[in-house]
Amino acid sequence: MDTASPHTRMSVLGVLVVACFVALFARLWYLQVMESPELVPRASAQSQRTLAIEAPRGRILDAKGRVLVDNRTSLVVSVDRNIFAKINDKDAFASDLAEVFTKFGTPTKTSSVQRRIAASQYDQLHPVPVASDVSPEVMVFLSEHSEEFPGVSVNRETMRVYPYGMAAANVLGYVGRISPEALKTLEAGIDPDTGVAKEYNSDSFIGLAGIEATYEKDLRGVPGVETIEVDSKNRPVGRVGYQAPRPGSDVHLHIDIEVQKRAEQALVDKLDVLRGTPQRDGVIRKAPAGSVVALSPTDGGVIALATYPTFDPGEFSGGISQERYNELLDQNGVSALVDRSISGQYAPGSTFKLVTATAAISRGLINGNTYYNDQGVYEVGDPPRPFSNAGGVKNGGIALPQALIVSSDVYFYWLGDRMDGTTFIQDSAEAYGFDQRTGIDLPNESAGYVWTAAEKKALHQKYPNAYPDGEWFTGDNVQLAVGQYVITATPIQIARAYATLANGGTVYEPHVAWRVLRAGSLPTDAGGILRTIEPVVTGTIDLPPAVRDPILAGFSGVTTGLGTATSAFIGFDQTNFRIAGKTGTAQVDGKADTSLFASFAPVDNPRYAVAAVMEESGFGAEASGEVVRHVYEILADRPLTAVSSATQGTRD
Amino acid sequence: MIPSSISRRSSRMSRRDPTSPLRHLDPVLLACTAVLAVIGVVTVYSATRGPGPEFSNTYLYKEVLFVLIGAVVMFIFTAVDYQKLHDWAWVFYGVTTVLLVLVVSPLGSRSNGAQAWFAVGPFQMQPAEFAKISLIGVLAFMLSEFRGDIDVRRTAALLGISAIPMALIMLQPDLGLVLILTVIMMAMLLIGGIPTRYIVVLTLAGVVGVVGALNSPVIKQYQQDRLTAFANPDDRSNPAVYNIEQSKLAIANGQLTGQGLFEGSQTRLGTVPEQQTDFIFTAVAEQFGFVGAGIVLLLYATMCHRILRIARIAKDQFGTLVCVGVLAMFLFSVFENVGMAMGIMPVTGIPLLLLSAGGSSTVTALAAIGLVLNVHMRRFR
Repeated sequence: MDTASPHTRMSVLGVLVVACFVALFARLWYLQVMESPELVPRASAQSQRTLAIEAPRGRILDAKGRVLVDNRTSLVVSVDRNIFAKINDKDAFASDLAEVFTKFGTPTKTSSVQRRIAASQYDQLHPVPVASDVSPEVMVFLSEHSEEFPGVSVNRETMRVYPYGMAAANVLGYVGRISPEALKTLEAGIDPDTGVAKEYNSDSFIGLAGIEATYEKDLRGVPGVETIEVDSKNRPVGRVGYQAPRPGSDVHLHIDIEVQKRAEQALVDKLDVLRGTPQRDGVIRKAPAGSVVALSPTDGGVIALATYPTFDPGEFSGGISQERYNELLDQNGVSALVDRSISGQYAPGSTFKLVTATAAISRGLINGNTYYNDQGVYEVGDPPRPFSNAGGVKNGGIALPQALIVSSDVYFYWLGDRMDGTTFIQDSAEAYGFDQRTGIDLPNESAGYVWTAAEKKALHQKYPNAYPDGEWFTGDNVQLAVGQYVITATPIQIARAYATLANGGTVYEPHVAWRVLRAGSLPTDAGGILRTIEPVVTGTIDLPPAVRDPILAGFSGVTTGLGTATSAFIGFDQTNFRIAGKTGTAQVDGKADTSLFASFAPVDNPRYAVAAVMEESGFGAEASGEVVRHVYEILADRPLTAVSSATQGTRD
Repeated sequence: MIPSSISRRSSRMSRRDPTSPLRHLDPVLLACTAVLAVIGVVTVYSATRGPGPEFSNTYLYKEVLFVLIGAVVMFIFTAVDYQKLHDWAWVFYGVTTVLLVLVVSPLGSRSNGAQAWFAVGPFQMQPAEFAKISLIGVLAFMLSEFRGDIDVRRTAALLGISAIPMALIMLQPDLGLVLILTVIMMAMLLIGGIPTRYIVVLTLAGVVGVVGALNSPVIKQYQQDRLTAFANPDDRSNPAVYNIEQSKLAIANGQLTGQGLFEGSQTRLGTVPEQQTDFIFTAVAEQFGFVGAGIVLLLYATMCHRILRIARIAKDQFGTLVCVGVLAMFLFSVFENVGMAMGIMPVTGIPLLLLSAGGSSTVTALAAIGLVLNVHMRRFR
């Protein structure tokens, strides 16, 4: 066999030829026919990229249909980082670009362009925005000089716009780019018409505060999808598919922007007037912050929610710089991004007497005609510790209504003493909705607290350094009765408690949003209302006439005659619009007093409950009372007056 | 040039002029070659015109030119009696060897990590391609002289003659061409009558050599990666795996009937590296599908069949051996190249003859076919 015939060897070659081609055919069939269902999608996935196009967010409307948040298009200059990476002189590129922006009306620093190009939150495929709201001249210039600016594009993008400027900024909130954490956890809303999920991607803008955040699922639209073909180096080659974005739903609020603006203006004006002046005991009022809440007692709708200091949501539209953000966090020691109306926690002071009075009558301790001789001071304990009225005023023999009208602390010290050893006041507070979040549809609400003896003890055991005293003294209960020291409440809680008294005992969850409307529709359009946010009753409190009437009689007298808030309502025509309320002056160690005023009106058929809380601003009437009066002026259609410079309040 | 046997057949084939060999061309082989060359030009254009909207014609013009040059060369290699070429075998060999020496000298130019080209104006000439023809010629010469009487000394001479171009090409380095030369040599030795035990020994030595080389620094890391990628398709650290992966995706994307000319996304977008040269088959398969790629394979198979047939009916052993060398060259380049693209063969830089872009390989392939046609035309003694 050593020398096989040439013929045999030629046959071997022939067999080899056949074998090779059979193998190739088999493999070709396998790849193109058998395996292709699995491989083809991978092939197209590789050559195509889908880019999400952010949909316009829904608008936000006030109760009367005025547009509070809208969209506009902005010219945004973006840089393709794939191309930027190949540029030799990157610094010159950035400074040239900054120069172009500056020349055409958008002053820009080179460093800001560089920082934005380097920003890490964008994926490599998506061009990074380096300037927004540039003038059309920039677009023209850059397109004419495209060779000098490789990879630079100018696109129209939708941005949030706020026709009322800073008004209701705390309510509306703001949008910003989604964080990597939120991208993982945020649940997508569903488009009401198509059932399509409103997916997120790393470039999505989301609501980060206020209604923008709470109603994110409604406001967000369904992103459009642009399918582009890319070459092997990931460079876009052309568009192969386009699906238009669907705008998000509109949100219709209970807020009345005119009332809101009035509340904000009155608040800021009054704080300005008070700031730097001494209060009665000589302490200088810093008046750094405050808030106003206006609710509808009949359904919990929020008519106005003002806070100071506040911010301009427009600053967030194109992305806010870290520097500016830090500035907003510290405006003379207070944050402009905190909504004090829902997260500020204050001793409610005398406004809390509503709760104490309700507890005392309900538990049968007193009735509307139970008199007590107020000698200006009330002593408890052994050795006796004196608790006195503001300014040591002696009111003599008074029953509950008078005690409320003149704000006798002694009368309530006496009630607090009598209820020591019980949780009557705490229970009543609980029923009015204190010591718990109201459930308002805004983020970052605080709960406040109303301590019981057991809670004080538990706190002491848990944090012995922060709470050195674990024992519940009679003095604690006496202080609780006038809303001091062992209690804090948020302005929204206080307003809701007065709304509850006003409506006869129904505790509503406050709602800023009224309903969700189909994008661009009016509530009157067929199918225009997608969803109504129904009032939610979180509890009821039993307020029979025997309980409610004496309290109402007291509150009604506060704004007239001998009432503590009379000075704030001078000149306000209360015919057909009687205002019931209660002043509060809460002491804060080493600072000027917190000024509070809580109220509702009209007394006979309450439609509004309004409360104001102003930090380091002095007596209840002289600061908050007047601010509330200005809000009622617009609610009652009364002549609008300017804030007074009178700061000589004498009584609480 | 007047074989005496012609007259014997003239009675049966009276319409043919026995004195005009051109009338005995193998039309099937010629047709297959022509069709493949046209497919090659179109496919290379489709793989190089770019994604648009403005297309590049550079490759189109070049390839058309190469095919025209190749056609002229093929005509020469067909027209001149191969007996004369037989006499010139050593001259070709000598010239090629000199070119191979020069190309690794500073006269040659470097591209893609190999010193393998002469710059000729806007073109690049790759002498190693021509070494395929010259080795076929010189081995056919020697083996036909030996007439099957081959001892150790003669075997050593054959191996030595083959080793010179291989060694020079290794200096470039171009592993794929060395492999082709090896396959050509083995096929020709087999048919040239070398004893079977030598073949066994040579094959064993070859296997040991390959395994040894793979584990030695002679073979560079990237070459090792390429050679072993097909065996470990999930090894993501191996860059050649990416290449094979892309190639398989593009081929699969063609499915049964193909995406259509200029419609293949992978081809258009250039997702397969080296797709106009070593991975040209992906462009064929994606655009023309199993049907089209199958036809291309059938054309190659038909060519191989015709070459094998001509090898059998050649009038002398020199003719037979030339055909066997050309057959080995075609069979291996098709099997290795297409097999590589489909992930069943190692990645080596072997062009798909007639289809891949590149002047030297196209001209060489057409010259080789010319030789086979030559043998066929002059098969009568």
